[in-house]
Amino acid sequence: MSDYSIWVCEYSYVKDYHKSGVLYGAHNQGYVKLPYCYVVIKGRDHIAMVDVGYNDKDYGKHLGDKFGVENWRNPKTVLGEIGIRPEEVDTCFITHAHFDHFGNVEDFPNAKFYIQEREIAKWVWAMSLPDRMRWMMVAVDPGDIVRGVDLARDKRLITVDGSLENALPGIDLHAAFDSHTYGSMWVTVRNDGKEQSDDTWVLAGDLVYVFENIAGPGGAVDLDEIYTPVGLAVGSQTNLVMATEEMMKQVKYESKRVIPVHEERIKDVFPSRTTSEGLRITEICLADGETSKVSG
Amino acid sequence: MSAHADSQTFNRIVGIHKPDCEMLMRCDPIPEASIPGEAELVAALGSEQTAEYAMACRRIYEDLRRVIGQLAGLMILARVTRKIEFVELEQVDNCTKRWTDAGARIAALKAHGPVARHKQQIELAHDFCGRILRTFPQLTARTDLDIIFDEIGDHLKQAYACLSRASSHEAGLVMVDFSNACCSCGR
Repeated sequence: MSDYSIWVCEYSYVKDYHKSGVLYGAHNQGYVKLPYCYVVIKGRDHIAMVDVGYNDKDYGKHLGDKFGVENWRNPKTVLGEIGIRPEEVDTCFITHAHFDHFGNVEDFPNAKFYIQEREIAKWVWAMSLPDRMRWMMVAVDPGDIVRGVDLARDKRLITVDGSLENALPGIDLHAAFDSHTYGSMWVTVRNDGKEQSDDTWVLAGDLVYVFENIAGPGGAVDLDEIYTPVGLAVGSQTNLVMATEEMMKQVKYESKRVIPVHEERIKDVFPSRTTSEGLRITEICLADGETSKVSG
Repeated sequence: MSAHADSQTFNRIVGIHKPDCEMLMRCDPIPEASIPGEAELVAALGSEQTAEYAMACRRIYEDLRRVIGQLAGLMILARVTRKIEFVELEQVDNCTKRWTDAGARIAALKAHGPVARHKQQIELAHDFCGRILRTFPQLTARTDLDIIFDEIGDHLKQAYACLSRASSHEAGLVMVDFSNACCSCGR
């Protein structure tokens, strides 16, 4: 019995992204394609998203010109590929406040948004620091926080402090404080609805960018594989590794069940198709009675 | 094991690559992302006067970007917790100081010709932030928090809209610091 369908939907990408950005210590190892994606979870009378991407109108040109970000498509187009309209989304879990995850709340007018309270509080703190510490506020658009004020006014913003079980039935939120960001979190779907689930999926946000973050090369330490944290952390790599262990524990160390949304090769692991817009839809699992959105 | 062997083992364990690793040898150096300098600004903006203005404006823009971000974050927390004790936080003092410093810089900013309108947007953004900051000391005495929070929210949106209108990729006045960020490929 599966309660939820899960799709990873690509909405843009960077063709050549420094590998060291996604994998700690991978200096001078060239570039990888970095897809920008969000996750759609559908089932039990809910349509939820993990992150909402960014809105191209604000800085799409800058991203395109300067950083080679390509082929952005709006949620109407992207979600349309799996038969969903943005207006139907009722819940959004924001794993962290970076612009490419929290930057498009406006396109989901009927959704409630969950974010860790610490994510907001610590960004306020970071923004109050002297200019010489400016590095600590990278990738956050004050505009996204301004839009968050409206969400809070409309009681559509729910701040979470730590873990939250059953944010939706069988869907839990878990905090990874001071890791990729100050208040990052991941989303766990217990797809059989059981407390001790045998069918768990972890949607990792940016706590895991690519497969190597979970199964990195361990040859240098005489191991087959080791956790190798992501390259960008305003918190600590230690906390990233500890969060990885916690995620892996939840999926009983079946690494395939930890879903890295910036991973291009996810298409090689799960059924997938490329849309007419040149963007990828990957089907992680299907709820009972749901039809595939990637095959024939 | 000898001390030398010990040290080699240690280096191997802590390093991803050995010093003679081919991977380290074969890649070209990667140029770093940078904010445009004065010469680039002159080329992009068309005149020395405009470039000079843009250089002077950067610090103010950065100040206002941060003030708006801080105020917005504080308002979210105030809204969801229904608490207004934040007004006593050190961060609010820092925010007020940054806003005051920005005011002094704006006063000293010379804006002739086509950039005068740009300065106007900067002044407006600063003004809207000031209205919010002046509200804070009165918050503890107010019982109509929802109304005052709504007013603050409106001022915030106005401030952000003005600063957005004053944004310019060519001038290096951008809302998000992308260096070292999710999309920074550094080229």
